[in-house]
Parts: sequence; C-alpha cells; structure tokens
Amino acid sequence: MGAETRADDRSFDSVEFGEELPEIHPDVSIENVRRFAKASLMLAGRFTDHEEARAAGLPAAIVPGIMSQGILVALIHRWAPNASVLSVDTIFRAPLLVDSKPTASAVVTDLDEEKRIVELDLTLKNEKGETPVVGTARVEL
Amino acid sequence: MNAEELRSRFTGFVFDDIDLDVEADSLAGFALACGETLPKFTDPSDPEFQSVPNYTTRIHGTRSLPPDFPVEMDRCFDAGKSIEIHAPVRPGDKIVGRSEIADIYEKTGRTGNMLFIVHRMSFYNQRGEHLSTVDWRLVQREME
Repeated sequence: MGAETRADDRSFDSVEFGEELPEIHPDVSIENVRRFAKASLMLAGRFTDHEEARAAGLPAAIVPGIMSQGILVALIHRWAPNASVLSVDTIFRAPLLVDSKPTASAVVTDLDEEKRIVELDLTLKNEKGETPVVGTARVEL
Repeated sequence: MNAEELRSRFTGFVFDDIDLDVEADSLAGFALACGETLPKFTDPSDPEFQSVPNYTTRIHGTRSLPPDFPVEMDRCFDAGKSIEIHAPVRPGDKIVGRSEIADIYEKTGRTGNMLFIVHRMSFYNQRGEHLSTVDWRLVQREME
C-alpha cells in the first residue's frame, strides 16, 4: 500500500516454524493503564483505581482485556514491523493486575506458504509464571 | 430456557447499532499505551497514520444484549475477544457498529455448567467498507 520498506522488516521466507518472538515487558503501570482508559473511554474504576477495584472484590485494579490484546499485537509489530495482522483471538483466563510486571511472548505455530500467512500462539504471563491471557494471531508477511 | 432455545430466539438479527467519530488522539493514545512504536500507529502526522489492528475492540454499543434477553450482564464475565481485521481505521472516519448475537452454547467444566454468549459487532466506515468483526465471548456460570 505504498509503505516504504524498513531495514527491520521481516520476509515470510525468513520465518521458521517454532521461532520464538523476542519477549517484551509491557508497561501496565496505573499511569499507563489510565492513559489507555482515557483513549478508549474505558474509565471504570476497576481499571484505573486500586481502591475502587478492591472495593469491588478484586485484588487490585485490572488491565482491560483489550489492552492485553493490544500489547500482544504490539509484540508482533516489534518482531515484524511490516506484518499485516489479519486476526487476533485472546482468551482472558484470569485478571492481569495493574502495576504487575508481565511478559509478553509468542511462538510461530504454522506457516501457510501459499498465502504467506504466519500463525502465532500468544502468551501474557505475570511475574508468578501464570498465564492470565493467551491467544492466537494470523499475520501476513 | 436452554442454550438451544436461546440461540433459536436471539441469534441472526441486529439488535443495536451505534455511530462513532474517530479522533486521532484516541488512535494514538490506544497505540502508545499498548507499547506500539511504529509512527504509522503513534504519530498523527505520519502519512500512513491509522489505527492499530484491534482498535475497534474498544467500541461498545448502547446495550450488550438484546431486549428481553433472560441473562443479566452483571452476572456475566468477559472470557475473551477475537477480531478479524479487514481494513484500518483512519482519523476522521465515521464508524457504524452493528451488534448481533452470533452464537449461544453451553459447556460443562469443573465448576458446573457455563453459558457462552457470543456478541458480535461488525464495523463499517462512511464509505461502507467493512473494517472489522469483533466477537466478544460472555460467560455466565450455572445457567438457570
């Protein structure tokens, strides 16, 4: 679509089955989640205020599920800036807490050589090694 | 009413639609908070500036379930979201989102029966281009 080629663009032919994407450590501080909440008009206290979240029975404020999904999409773009994301499916298994120290990772699980589509398994882990968010994505290279 | 009866009665029709004017600040703020670094997502002055692929997941209709649906939203939890992306959202776009119930089914887990409700929103821009389809899986435990 007219975009320039970048030095760090990935070609489909350079991707290997089982390849692990470089992990990222996303910022889920209360300040950054509030920034997300403002941009998304998701201003519920359970996302933006620890005390309100605790009053609602949660252990702390929680990261919006779609922010977790966006973090996993950003992980894909860090790996392949030229990737065209076709679909993302995320499962929210447990709350990801605001001000925690999560790690986002992904692995290549399938390669469609005819359509040049890469399938990825996506994971967002907390510092205890639990996986509150998992997912899959299909990207075109 | 069981899952089959609910599916028969409540799937297959649009029960809500909304309009949304897209602003550059919202697109950039969403992208930056998620950790995007590419200018086409974060910098409104970039000639390719556009939404991140999952931007439309943030858009909700005026209601989450059809009128008379016999399940209360506050008894449901958010089990996940999937999105199929067809075209990017651009600043200044006027988006239309249409809601329907795409599926209803039951599963039995360790904690008992769970009712899954798939709320689907389809998004179009002012030119009628299909931007994305978002499926939101809502779960209610112990169906009555």
